[in-house]
This record gives sequence, structure tokens and C-alpha cells, in this order.
Amino acid sequence: MTSFRRLPQGGRIQRARPVTARFDGKALGGFAGDTLASALLANDKLLVGRSFKYHRPRGIVAAGIEEPNALFTIGDGATTEPNVAATMVELVDGLVARTQNAWPSPDFDLMAVNSLLSPLFQSGFYYKTFMGPTKGSWMFYEPFIRKAAGLGAATDLADPDRYDMRFAFCDVLVVGSGPAGLAAALTAGRSGARVVLAEQDRDFGGSLLSGSDAEQEAWRVACVDELNSLPNVEAVTRTTVQGLYDGNLAVLVENRSSLPHDARKGQPRMVLTQLRARTIVMATGAIERPLVFSNNDRPGVMLASALRTYVNRFAVAPDKRAVIVTNNDTAYDAALDLAAAGVAVTIADHRASVSADILSRAGARGIAIFPGSGIFDVEGSKGVRRVKLGGAHAVTIECDAVGMAGGWSPVVHLSSHGGIKPRYDEAAAGFVPGGFPASHFGAGAMMGTYGLSAAIAEGSNAGASAASHAGFGKTRPVYAPEHATDRSYAILPSWSPPQGAKGKAFVDFQNDVTIKDVKIAHQEGYRSVEHLKRYTTLGMGTDQGKTSNINALALMAEYRGITIPEAGTTTFRPPYAPLTMGAIAGRTVGSHFRPVRLSPLHDWHVKNGATFIDAGLWKRAWFYSWAGATPETAYVKEMELVRRGVGLADVSTLGKIDIQGPDAAEFLNRVYVNGFAKLPVGKVRYGVMLNDDGIVLDDGTTARISENQFYMTTTTAQAGEVMSWLEYLLQMQWPELNVQVASLTDEWAGMAVSGPKAREALQLAFPGEDLSNEALPYMGCKDFVFDGVTVRLLRMSFSGELAYEVHVAADHAISLWEHILKAATPTGIMPYGLEALASLRIEKGHVAGLELDHRNTLDDLGLGKMAGKEKDYVGKALRFREDCQSPDRWSLVGLELMEPDKKLRGGSILFAASDEIKGHGRGYITSVTWSTELNKFIALGLYKGGLKHEGEEIIAAFPLKNEQARLKIVSPHFIDHEGVRLHA
Amino acid sequence: MLERRSALASAKPYKSAVLTIAERPGFTLTQVAGLSPDFEAKLADVAGSLPETVARAQSNGERTLFRIGPAQFWIVGPETDDVASRLAGACAVTPLTSSRVRIGIEGAPARDVLAMLIPVDLHRSVFAPGSVALTGIHHTPVTVHCRGEDAFDVYVMRTFARDVWDAITDAALRFADDP
Repeated sequence: MTSFRRLPQGGRIQRARPVTARFDGKALGGFAGDTLASALLANDKLLVGRSFKYHRPRGIVAAGIEEPNALFTIGDGATTEPNVAATMVELVDGLVARTQNAWPSPDFDLMAVNSLLSPLFQSGFYYKTFMGPTKGSWMFYEPFIRKAAGLGAATDLADPDRYDMRFAFCDVLVVGSGPAGLAAALTAGRSGARVVLAEQDRDFGGSLLSGSDAEQEAWRVACVDELNSLPNVEAVTRTTVQGLYDGNLAVLVENRSSLPHDARKGQPRMVLTQLRARTIVMATGAIERPLVFSNNDRPGVMLASALRTYVNRFAVAPDKRAVIVTNNDTAYDAALDLAAAGVAVTIADHRASVSADILSRAGARGIAIFPGSGIFDVEGSKGVRRVKLGGAHAVTIECDAVGMAGGWSPVVHLSSHGGIKPRYDEAAAGFVPGGFPASHFGAGAMMGTYGLSAAIAEGSNAGASAASHAGFGKTRPVYAPEHATDRSYAILPSWSPPQGAKGKAFVDFQNDVTIKDVKIAHQEGYRSVEHLKRYTTLGMGTDQGKTSNINALALMAEYRGITIPEAGTTTFRPPYAPLTMGAIAGRTVGSHFRPVRLSPLHDWHVKNGATFIDAGLWKRAWFYSWAGATPETAYVKEMELVRRGVGLADVSTLGKIDIQGPDAAEFLNRVYVNGFAKLPVGKVRYGVMLNDDGIVLDDGTTARISENQFYMTTTTAQAGEVMSWLEYLLQMQWPELNVQVASLTDEWAGMAVSGPKAREALQLAFPGEDLSNEALPYMGCKDFVFDGVTVRLLRMSFSGELAYEVHVAADHAISLWEHILKAATPTGIMPYGLEALASLRIEKGHVAGLELDHRNTLDDLGLGKMAGKEKDYVGKALRFREDCQSPDRWSLVGLELMEPDKKLRGGSILFAASDEIKGHGRGYITSVTWSTELNKFIALGLYKGGLKHEGEEIIAAFPLKNEQARLKIVSPHFIDHEGVRLHA
Repeated sequence: MLERRSALASAKPYKSAVLTIAERPGFTLTQVAGLSPDFEAKLADVAGSLPETVARAQSNGERTLFRIGPAQFWIVGPETDDVASRLAGACAVTPLTSSRVRIGIEGAPARDVLAMLIPVDLHRSVFAPGSVALTGIHHTPVTVHCRGEDAFDVYVMRTFARDVWDAITDAALRFADDP
């Protein structure tokens, strides 16, 4: 029966540094240098989980990133991370790991009843069974299915760890630090090129770390030492290249989970690097394939290369006896190393003959070889008890472990991310890169080059070529160790298992896909590899078929009677290995989720009782505590302040644009629908601009500062868009116009002084200026210097009252704001916020962002008469297209609530009184407020036919709250129709 | 004169033995843009040599010039600078001193911190003193000027300054004295 033990000596573990982790609530001992997987094996904990569908007992299969079975939940509470391969987890003190997908435990799993129902779970079972009887059946069943056949569960708690993101650049990126990668990085590094060497393991060396040859180890150490000594080389471990993208952008993720990572000290658990490399050398190695045979998933059945890694790197070996089944020569490396560690090894070799050299070396170690044989069946349930061989030698062998050596699959993922399909190489019996762009190179096992000295030579050449491509010509090659040989591969590909065995023969361990599932998929017509994948789930999951894909498509090719290249591969997409969402999110979390924009007056608002509201990226003062504790009470009081006295509001968020040049007036005349060519200096004009499709883009004001200089304001929401639009028009449409534009939104602060006492307040603030109606009439503007600073005063009104906007350089905004409040104290001036500002404009009937929603025409908004008839302007031609002129368009109306006991809501759907309350109605309410002037709820809305229906009674419906109210359509200008207040 | 108030007045200060991150006020920023073919010559008469590319700054005495676009320059001068009035009429002159906050990042880890914020090659051989990058931090446009071996100025839009400050100091958290 399967059992493993820690060898008394050897390995790369640090025996002087014992480590204790927690595994399923109990202490798990090991040494620094162990992985969670090696520690489990060393403690003879072979059964590590249950399989995905059938809940069959499963053990560790691999020693690297390809592990399909040994997935654990790491951490607890908020740091829980599910589905982490034990082979990639470094054993450290305090590590907490739990088994998953088994209840109550992997050893006694009640869900193993699924195994008895296995005929039900063949490929396509879910789709065939749970799609009926009704349309929504799948939605009903899915949660139950997922619960029964799931992996680990993520936590809902916020992740307390920190994830950093950084940008990097280099001349040569080398991916992988096996023999080829080390040679490539060192050769490129010797040229002086800036080199980044990325290794996913905690140590450099790749396959060399699993070997036992002292000379090769000395070569590895010498390479690493030299790399570390070169200032132009950045060699990083624990770093996986997750994807390659256009422009040689590589995404690297460093996993620092085993290192100190206290977020409060700014230490990240992971770092995602966006690396732009001029050239890339891929030395990503190869992954050993399992063989498909009956009960090949029993705990203790592992990859032969994994057995070798565990014995050489971690000093963990099967207790007494191992059987290795192979179709190629590389398995003998594992066999010889196991034998050297005292394990009795038997080899079943699919090939009828084995080279004399191998026979003699194996013989010297007492290894028994059965040529022309494979494994017929494995006996044992929670471990291997014995194996039955089939073929030339039908013998039964008691053993602790089985090593599978089905050949090697080059890791071609990165070479395929750019869209180049891999190519099947008959000699390598695997897919190798189908080609490279000019700046990409490949070396070593990922190219199908499995010999050590050949891989080193290929790596060195690739490093030199990459450096040369990046402009670094002179370098020195790296040579292989003196006695390195190019071992033979001599693979005899074999895909199908021996016939007759009754146990399940797995192709994909993680997704519980058997050879029978592949056959069913074939029989049912899912023959393309892409369909095979989706029908059986083969190649999905956290390992993405790293051990299973090639076997599966080879089997499908066999069933279809075509070649493997004809069958093709599925598409490789990033990420290469599982990646936690935290690494992708980086620091874009919490308050860093999106940028926040603050007015120059923000700090004053904070200190003086403002409550804020988000308006796009801006934090705007919504209302002030002097007026009330809630917006409902405060805004009404603030409105009354403006209607009866004077208020001060922060309007710094408005877009502000400097427009200069001899053609500036002509430019504005084309941009706005109304005329600006003859706007006098010292005057402001309201303007509306259209997109070229005739739909309203924005409104605002523009003041003429001098003959050739204008000062434009836009709405807060469209500030950036208008600026881009003006630049586009100048650069692309009218390059002949001599005009320059610059954004002043951040340069100038704006404050609105509004109300019947506005002039009085400003006169108190600026006693040296003549602010009389004659000196500064409605829509006039002037610049003056106050206390050493230029102030721009624009007499215009959003509220409908006598009002001014005071603009000043943002650095001085708080000082000026405080000065106005202090100087104008006798007028009773107080600040008012966005809610009151927006409500006052509804009473006046000014359109704003809610009406300017990029769907309305000038006529929809009642602004058609503004447009110049003779002059040309952007959007003029399409403004008059048939649809834009339809009398049935939804256009602007004012609305008054007729039922005083009810409330109006923005977004309510409007219906004629005789309509059935159903569907999209005849329009909707865009803006609503309580009118302090009219003592009732009023609103602006868009209604089919618009003011043709003035005086009619209609219905506003708000289905979400099941509310209806009667309204009357009125003019959208609720107050001061003659504009007396504006001109006061 | 009306008192100036910093956009970072209420920002959390950053303290580190190895890294200085601090606002560097006391400058005048003037944007100038050409309205005539001889614009650059006129500008050079007043402000001195012009930077040849967007990627380089030109320092002339107390002023540093950045080329920020086709026929557009920034002139960063001392707190009191008459360059705007001297250029009036020769080109479009737009004072922008209030529009930007200048954040200095100085010290051995400065490049490491910036590498977490801007997609720019910051290797000493590439982004050497005098280099300029028109780039972005936290989705907002910034201009980064290398003014010394490990000393950088980041010109940030005033209304985003607090947010960018937070992003910079967060990136530098591991170098802080008392994180």
C-alpha cells in the first residue's frame, strides 16, 4: 500500500530550519525549502482530496504548476484563497491549509456516493438532464450542481492583503531559468543589455533543481552567481509570466505569500508588473504527460518526473517499491535516482526494446525492466496496493507508488498568446511553437530540445540573438558543463490504454474526464477539440489541461482517424496559471478605486458644515448644516435665501476654456448655434453647441475678454468633452483658423453670488468697483484687480435672480470666498449647495445635464429660435433631418403637481390622462423640485408633442413605488417670465 | 495680497528617512502657444533656448521650459515672473500657476515609487536629469520632470492633487518612517 517517507539525508531542504504549518487543523511539520506537497508526502499524507465529480480519492500527481489534484484552501477568514496547488505553496511557519470538496474529510467522504452513480455523470450529462422541463430549469438546478461538484469557496470578506502594480522595461526578457533560460539570460546579460529573468519557482534552475548531478549543480550556481553580479540583470524568483500581449507587453506576477507581507507596512502579497520588453526569450520548459490506464488516478500514481523531484529536491521517496511506466527514455532518470535512494524500482516500458546503455545503467542499480509492457490496472482505493502489467509481461507487482512517463509537452502557452498556433513535432511527439515574431526567441525543452547541452547551447544562442536584436552585439556564449550529455528521448507515443480493464481511465484528473467521456463526445459529434473541451470540460479548471490536453486530442484524433496536427489544439489564453483577483485589481481598491476631484474650495466646505454628493468624479457641496440636517429641509431654506436675500455657491466645477487668436470669434461663431462673431468686448452670451449629428452637445456662456480672447464656460459634466471637441475641430476640421485653446477648469475657481441682494453683497466686498446696473449690466463682464489678484466678474444668472459669478485663480479661492462672506455679512449672505442650485434653475426653466443627455435637439429643448438662420454652425445640416423635425418628438415641458398630498419623483413616466398606465409612456420627468415660489412640486420633463399640450392634465407614474400623480403641463419657465429680476 | 491656499493643505504628510515627498510651491506656470510662424523665435528671445522635443526640458536660469504639444510650451519660472507680460501680444499666453500642484519626489527609492505609478521607462540611462514625460497617474494627466539623479517633480492637476498625492504616498508606503 502506498506510503512515502522522508529520506535521512539529501535534498535541498534546510534540515536545520524546521517549519510547522497547520493542515486541516493539525500541525504539519517540515523544513524550510519544502512545499506543502512535499511536506504532505514526507508525512505520508497521500490522500489529499476528492475528485471533482465522482469524489474519488486523489493524491498528489505532480511537483510543479501543472498539479491537477492537490488543491487546497490556503489561509482562513479574510485571507482565504481557494484552489491553490500544494506544489506551488512554500511551507512556512503559520501556513494554514484545508482540504476542499470533501465532507466530512477526504478519508471518509459522503459525496463518494457519486462514484456509484458514475454512469449518470458522463460527458453532457448536465446539459441533457437539467435543461428541462421548463425554460428556467437550468437556473434552478445550477446552484445545487455547483455545490455538489465544486472546488473551494472564496470568502466574502474584504481581502486585507496588499497587491501592488508596477511598470518595467527591459531589452531582453527571459522566461524560465532552467538550463536554457540561465544560458540565455547570462549570454544576453554579458552583452550589456538590460535583462529580466523571471522564474516562477522560488529558486533558479528549473529542471536542474530536480537533478542529482553535482557538476550540473555547480554550473547552475555559477550561472546564478554571475547573473546576480551583473548590474544590468534583474533576476526574479516566485514570478510567473502570466501573459504576453501586443507590443511585447508581458504581465508578470510575483507571489510573495511566503515572505513577510504586512499591508500596513506597505508590503504587498503579490506584485503585478507590466513589463515592456524589446525582445523575449521563452525558455519555459516542458511538462510531463501522464499515461492513460485503468485507475490511473489512484493516490500514489504520479508523474515519474515528480517522483524524481520529490526524491532529489525534497528528500521524499516511496517507502519501498515503485513501478514506473514509460514510453520514452527520460523516465530512467527518475528510476535511477529513486533506486539510488534505496527504492526498489520496476519499469514497464511500452517499447519493445530499450538501448543497451540504459539497460546497463538500470541493471547496475538493480532496476527490473519489462519491455513491451504497460500498466493494465491499478489495485487499491485510497492508495496503490499493486499494479497489473499488460502486454509482453502480464505480471502483478506490489508497490507504494507508480510513476507515469508519457512523454513531454513543451510549454508553448506564451508563444501562442499572440495568436500563433503551435505546431506538432513528430520527433518530440508534442506541440512546439508554430513560429515567433521577429523579437521573440525560444530555447530548450519548450522547443522540444530535451538534451542538457543542446538546451544550453540553444539558450545561449537565443540570448545572443535577443541581445543583438535589441542592439547589443558583443557577448560571450555560455557553455554546458563538461560532462553534460544529450540524453536520448526515443519516445514511442502511446495514447490508448490496454483493452479489457474495468476501472476508469482518466484523461483529465481535475475535471474527472475519462477516456470513455472522450469517446462519447466523439460519438455524439463533438469532434473538434474546442467542442470536446466544452462538452466534457476537459482542459478547463485551474490547471487548464496542462497534463491532459495532448492525451485528449491525440485520443480524439485516433477516434476520428486523423493525425494529431489535423486535430489541432485548443486556444491558449492568459493567464498561464491561476491568478488571484487581488493581483489584477492592484491598488485600485477602496478610496483608490477611481480618481476623486475636489473643488479649490473643498477644504472650506469641509470645515463649514457641508455635506457632499458625488457628481461624476467631483465631490460637490450638497447642502450646509446652517440650513438643515437633511437635504430635504436644507435645500428649501437655501433656495429661500437666494430668492429673498443673497447666497454664495461654489461653481468651480464648471468647465472653463481660454480661447485666443485672431480667428477666435469666427471659431466660436461656427461652434455655437447662435452668433458670436459680433459679441462686444466686456459682454457675455449664452450659447448652445451641437454635435455634428444635430443633437445638443452642451450649453454654457462665453465672455469676450478682448478682441482676440474669449472665456468659455461649459457644464460640469461636459467640460472634458467640449475641450476635446474644440481641439478636434481646430486640428482636424478647421486647421486654417488661427486659434489656440487651453483648459482653465483647474486654474480658475468660480463662485455664484445670487439673490436680490447680490449687488449689495459684492459692492461690500469690492467697494472700489462700480457695480451699478449701468456700469455692469446683465450679461456684462469685467476684470479687475482686488488685493493684488485678478478677479473676473460675470453678471449672469442660473437661478433667475440678480446674480454674478466671481472667478479667481484657484490658489486664492478660499481667501476670496471668505472675504465675500465676511464683507457682505450685513446682507445675511450664506453659502448654498448643489441641491438648491439645481432646484433654483428648475424654477427658472434652465436646462442642465439631465436634459442635455445627448438625445435631444435644440427644438426638443425649446431653444430652436436661438439658432442663426443665415450663418453656418456645426450640426446645422443634420439638425433639419426628418426625424429631428417630427412633431411627435419628446420635448421640454414644465409640470406642476396637482395633488398637494403627493410627491413627485424624477424619472417618473408620463402618460396622457386617458392612457393605460403601461410601457414607456409619452415621456418622463427629467428634474423635479419643491418650488418655494409656487409652494408645490414642479418639474421639467420631456413629453411627446411638448408644449402643444400646454394646460392638459396628465399622469406621472412611478412603477417602482406603485405611485401615480396628476400633473398639469405648463411653461417650463415657472418664475419671472419677463426677466425683471435678472435685469434688476 | 489675497492669501494662497494649497490644494494639499489637508493632505496627510509623508515622512521617510530615505524619501522626500512634498509639495514644492513657489513657482509660476505660464502656458504659451503660437499664433504666428515666428512664434518660437519670439519665445526664444524672451525665455531663452527651447527644448527640442517633448521628452526634454530646457532650463534657462530660473526658468524651465517644457514643450507640451505642437507650438505649445510651459514656462515654469520663479514665484514672481514677468514672462507673461513680456510675451503678451507675441503669442497666446495663459497663466496656469493655480492649475497645477508641483509634488517633489526625491531620494534613492524615488524611481521605484514612480515605477508603480507611470508607464515610463525610468532607468537612469533613459530617464536622466532633464527628461520629461507627459503621462498619467491614477487616470489623471501629469507631467513628470527629472530634475536630478533621484529627484523628480510631478505636475498634477490641482483638482486631482489630493487624490494623486494619496496615490503617490500609498505607493511609497513601504519607505515611510511610520506607515
